[in-house]
Amino acid sequence: MKTLIPIIFFLLTAVSVYPQDSLLTEANQQYTDGKYEQAIDLYQRILKGNMESAEVYYNLGNAFYKTGKFTSAIISYERARLLAPNDDDIQFNLEIANQHVVDAIKPLPKLFFIRWWQSLTNKFPADGWAKISVVSFILALILAGFFFFSASSGLKRTSFWAGILILSVAVFSYNFAARQEKRMTEHRFAIITQPSVTVKSSPSEGGTNLFLIHEGLKVEILENLGTWNNIRLADGNQGWLPDSSMEKI
Amino acid sequence: MIKKLLIAVLLMAPVFFAGADNVRFIMSAPNVVSAGEQFRLSFTLNESGSDLQLPDLSNFEVLMGPSTTQSSSIQIINGKTTQELSFSYIFILRAKEEGTFTIQPASVKAGGKVYQSNELKIQVVKGQVPQQGSSSTQQQQSESQGSLSSEITKDELFVRTELDKHSVYKGEQVIATVKIYVSPTVPITGFEDVKLPSFEGFWTQDIEIPGQINFTREVHDGKIYQVGTLKKTLLFPQQTGKIRIDPFEITTTIRQQIKRQRSFFDDFFDNYRTVSARITSDPVTVTVRDLPAAPGGFYGGVGNMSFSAKPDKLETRSNEAVSFRISITGSGNLRLIEAPKVDFPADFEAYDPKEADNFNVTASGMSGTKTFEYLFIPRYAGDFSIPPVTFASFNPSTGQYAVQSSPEYKIHVEKGDDSQNTTVTSAYSKEDVKYIGKDIRYIKQNEYKLRNKAALFFGSSFYWMINLGSLFIFLLVAVIYRKKLRENANLQLVRTKKANKVARKRLREASHFMKQNKAEEFYESVLRAYWGYLSDKLNIPVADLNREKASDTLIKRGVEQDVIADFVSLLDTCEFARYAPSAAGGTPVELYGKAVALMGKLEKQIR
Repeated sequence: MKTLIPIIFFLLTAVSVYPQDSLLTEANQQYTDGKYEQAIDLYQRILKGNMESAEVYYNLGNAFYKTGKFTSAIISYERARLLAPNDDDIQFNLEIANQHVVDAIKPLPKLFFIRWWQSLTNKFPADGWAKISVVSFILALILAGFFFFSASSGLKRTSFWAGILILSVAVFSYNFAARQEKRMTEHRFAIITQPSVTVKSSPSEGGTNLFLIHEGLKVEILENLGTWNNIRLADGNQGWLPDSSMEKI
Repeated sequence: MIKKLLIAVLLMAPVFFAGADNVRFIMSAPNVVSAGEQFRLSFTLNESGSDLQLPDLSNFEVLMGPSTTQSSSIQIINGKTTQELSFSYIFILRAKEEGTFTIQPASVKAGGKVYQSNELKIQVVKGQVPQQGSSSTQQQQSESQGSLSSEITKDELFVRTELDKHSVYKGEQVIATVKIYVSPTVPITGFEDVKLPSFEGFWTQDIEIPGQINFTREVHDGKIYQVGTLKKTLLFPQQTGKIRIDPFEITTTIRQQIKRQRSFFDDFFDNYRTVSARITSDPVTVTVRDLPAAPGGFYGGVGNMSFSAKPDKLETRSNEAVSFRISITGSGNLRLIEAPKVDFPADFEAYDPKEADNFNVTASGMSGTKTFEYLFIPRYAGDFSIPPVTFASFNPSTGQYAVQSSPEYKIHVEKGDDSQNTTVTSAYSKEDVKYIGKDIRYIKQNEYKLRNKAALFFGSSFYWMINLGSLFIFLLVAVIYRKKLRENANLQLVRTKKANKVARKRLREASHFMKQNKAEEFYESVLRAYWGYLSDKLNIPVADLNREKASDTLIKRGVEQDVIADFVSLLDTCEFARYAPSAAGGTPVELYGKAVALMGKLEKQIR
């Protein structure tokens, strides 16, 4: 039992080295030299090679920002934030890039415990929570072992309560991991890419014009109907937009 | 102010003054005449001369001349006397035929030297039909209307707005000249009610012209006109596209003779009356092109400009003001140039620049110097640098931007006298960090790992394998452990159950030794019986047993205190008797009885 834990840790932290690493160093060098266009090209090549990391998206966003493509920068930062929801730098730069967005949207206020719950969920990405849930599950099993087979009644009691606690940690972190995974795979958010679009009341060009939004705004996709999406703004307004006017995060 | 005193003395007598240094000999005549018209050709010399050699005048008829006039003037200004002499020779000529004729220079002898005059060009145009007869009939016809303005045709009197350029860049200067053309036959007495065009879309600057309008002769469309310049304005277009300049309107007064044959007296006195004629120029348009994409450091300057920038000192003390002067010299829209941006070090207290202009507005345009003075105060000692200032100006003649930049200036600031700094009262004043700019944070450079897209650990088979595997291992271990535990438990039970039997057997062995009177063996076997019994009964290995542990465990297992005391005293007696049999407290028979009784009690009380 005791030899198993290091093995699991080893398996969890094991990562392989890819040839894209040299590309990454080159891209960072181009950025440092101020050749942002070349840096963008290299970062995009890394991402095309089916590889990703929050840092690559972040650096790509920076390169976009430096060339004045704020909307592309926002998309990259948002993607980076999906992979690393608790990164301070990403948050900071995203806020700066969002200052170039025309629309000022007042988000709906949320209840404090929902805010806490969301910020707790965002403490780690999906895999972070997954690792926590595996480790805590194993720990809970060990404590269960102590509870069942210990002769001492004190040890039994301690291991029982600790086991319950750790088990609930495992269950919650599993839940968080599932939420984060859903966020990453469902692509429920999108950024408007057209300079200005009119949101329609129904999924057709003939729908009533509801309101006008501009490039760089983040919207939530509620449902799809063909090429049309029912979107919701942070202030709660809803409407329909075609696929072509936005890019999913 | 210089006080001027002017005394002019006109003397008809020739005055000879030595020291008339500059001899000028000028030939003058109208530049345009019509064929058959009489005109004056005059030669003016500012010294007395002789032996005037006329040029070839075969193209003209000399009707009269030369008639000579002399004039002299003496000026005394602040005690300085200057004298001017003037000798004129005047000829009256008549042009024979149309064409442009050049009159070669004439020469004259003055003071023993021969002086040459300038050359003249005279244009002779077709003779104008004398309009006297027809105009007089018109006059009579229109008399009843009370106004004569209708008689004056557009050919005889008009205003034109002339531009030196019709296609310019935005900001490039255009000279607009408003001229009045008057036929020599129209007698103009004055102007009134001048309505200037608004010059919308332009920034304007008037050019000073003499208050008195000088009429010169000019040919326009083959006719001779008296042309006067009414207004000269510099225009700087401020917008692109076709800009229309509104018409210029002026009302002229014309004196006309009225011929009425009603009364006798009217014929005696020439009757003149003044009529006003309102004339309007045609609107003109200017095509304004936009400037090409401007480089950095363009502050609106269009023209030919040069730029310099310099601080007044490079070494200073803190809290002492330094001025940084930028001057722009040249021609163009100098007045419209904005203050160039200077990036002073953030620690400097910099003030808005002061502007100073020194412009000349002449017929050729605006030129001069514009100066910006930036005042700054270094608040802290140290070495600072003022980065180069770039200044770009658009040169319309080349169609390109000229970019100039100043060198970088290093300023050394020494620590100044703090006692002069009255504004800071506390020596430990704190300052907020100045936020100079806002930018995104830098890229992440440290080593980080790339991973496959969509290869999440969560939900992967590996993830579930670990979870289920660990659960399986747990169950396996649990089952094995439980089984082993049960086996152990059985063994223990057997040993506990047997403990009494074994102990009694040992005690019996002890009684056997007692009968044989082997005291030492007797005590030893009693002790062995007890230790063995407790070891089996309390699940403690014999090696770990001692008196304290045994009594502690017995208390825990619910044995009464006096039974334990009995047990301890029994152990004491046995151990004592083993090493000193003679000193033993009681007989082995008594001890044996005690031991058996204690064994029974223990068996009953150990739970």
